[in-house]
Amino acid sequence: MTIDASFIVEALREISKVIPLTLFMTITPVLLGIVIGIIVAFARIKQIKIVTSILNFYVSFFRGTPIIMHIMLVYFGLPIVVDVVASTFNLTIQSTSIPILFFVILALTLSAGAYASEIIRSGILSVPKGQLEAAYAIGLTFTQAMRRFILPQAFGQSIPNFTNVFIGFLHATSLAFFLSIKELTGVANIVASVNLKFLESFIAVGLIYWGISVTAEWISHRIEKRVTAYSKGGF
Amino acid sequence: MDNNFDVVLIAKVIPTLLQYLPVTFEILIFSILFGIVLGLVLAILKLLHIPILKHIITIYISYIRGTPILVQLFLVFYGIPALLKLIHIDVTRMDAMYFVIITYTLSNTAAFAEIFRAAILTVDRGQMEAAYSVGLSGTQAFMRIVFPQAIRVAFPNIANTMISSLKDTSLAFSIGVMDMVGRGETLIASTTRAFEIYVALSIVYYVIVIILEKIFTFNERYFNRYMPKELASH
Repeated sequence: MTIDASFIVEALREISKVIPLTLFMTITPVLLGIVIGIIVAFARIKQIKIVTSILNFYVSFFRGTPIIMHIMLVYFGLPIVVDVVASTFNLTIQSTSIPILFFVILALTLSAGAYASEIIRSGILSVPKGQLEAAYAIGLTFTQAMRRFILPQAFGQSIPNFTNVFIGFLHATSLAFFLSIKELTGVANIVASVNLKFLESFIAVGLIYWGISVTAEWISHRIEKRVTAYSKGGF
Repeated sequence: MDNNFDVVLIAKVIPTLLQYLPVTFEILIFSILFGIVLGLVLAILKLLHIPILKHIITIYISYIRGTPILVQLFLVFYGIPALLKLIHIDVTRMDAMYFVIITYTLSNTAAFAEIFRAAILTVDRGQMEAAYSVGLSGTQAFMRIVFPQAIRVAFPNIANTMISSLKDTSLAFSIGVMDMVGRGETLIASTTRAFEIYVALSIVYYVIVIILEKIFTFNERYFNRYMPKELASH
């Protein structure tokens, strides 16, 4: 078997059709994950007793197990829950009618929430306490101080970490291939099996992932420069 | 298949899964060891600013960081036999384990190269000059003065890479390695109880990660033993 360079181009064309789906599968969990992350991070910083220990477990469990486990647990676990709920309340929802994509996005969202909450927490904790005291001193409330002083600074510092989460979850969408979703890796596998050109297809899909990752890093670098511009002469 | 959640089954399969833990650790340990050695070499080569080599290393690191480990696994699995066929070596019957170790080594090498490069750069230039002034050679100064300080900075990142690498090993089953997940898949086929098996697998991974984290925190304190207290606390 020699490498067929022209097939790589063909595979690139074929596989790149599902870039939008992969991006959707990446961006939705990351954005929802950031929302979960903000809520979780605040609940943990505010130290509400039982809630904090539950959330600590949530974060440590999702950070301590492989993402493929999350996908499989949701995919096999959620239907059990749905069926039990449906039979007790006589609902007409059936677990088989839920699209597989939903399970993947839900699993990735839960996972992203855990990772994002750690980033946000460390971002908030990295802003000196004096900033919050200064905000109180001029008469702002906690919410105001957070929104106007702490969070903008925390987010500025967290941008590289968020980029890593974005790229990490872009790569995690490749796991949806195990549930035979037609995202980049899934389509690459189909193109490979149909034409019996495995190496060429995976070279092509590798190039696509690489391209998206490099673009994401470049964009985040630009945003970071702009957002942290104010902090140049701070010291 | 009734939908009751079978807790007993989880407890029953965990010992079976644990028998395959050595396979997971074998992948992890080999790929980490090779990764650290090769990563250090790449980091030093990159810091030496050798014109073309530097760019090749940068592209290599960028590619590994920019593609999913699953794609890397497939590339190695299909790519290495194709490459070796050009020089008439047939490896199609080679144990999938070798491909997995090669993939994770390549992946960890890129991660460690970046970690070591950043860590070496944090060591003050004056340390090197001081070492020269007391008559050490370049290699001696690096090995005895710069590297021990760099490893202290690098350690938390090395620990994180090890943990994420452990989690990544859960994909080795996709090219046919019989590790914990691979065994789990066969158990699913025989028991038709996918959810319980995945819960058991998650518990095993979670416990291992927690144990590793405890060990790493302990080691981190050891590496920081010469640091002033207020700095060592973070």
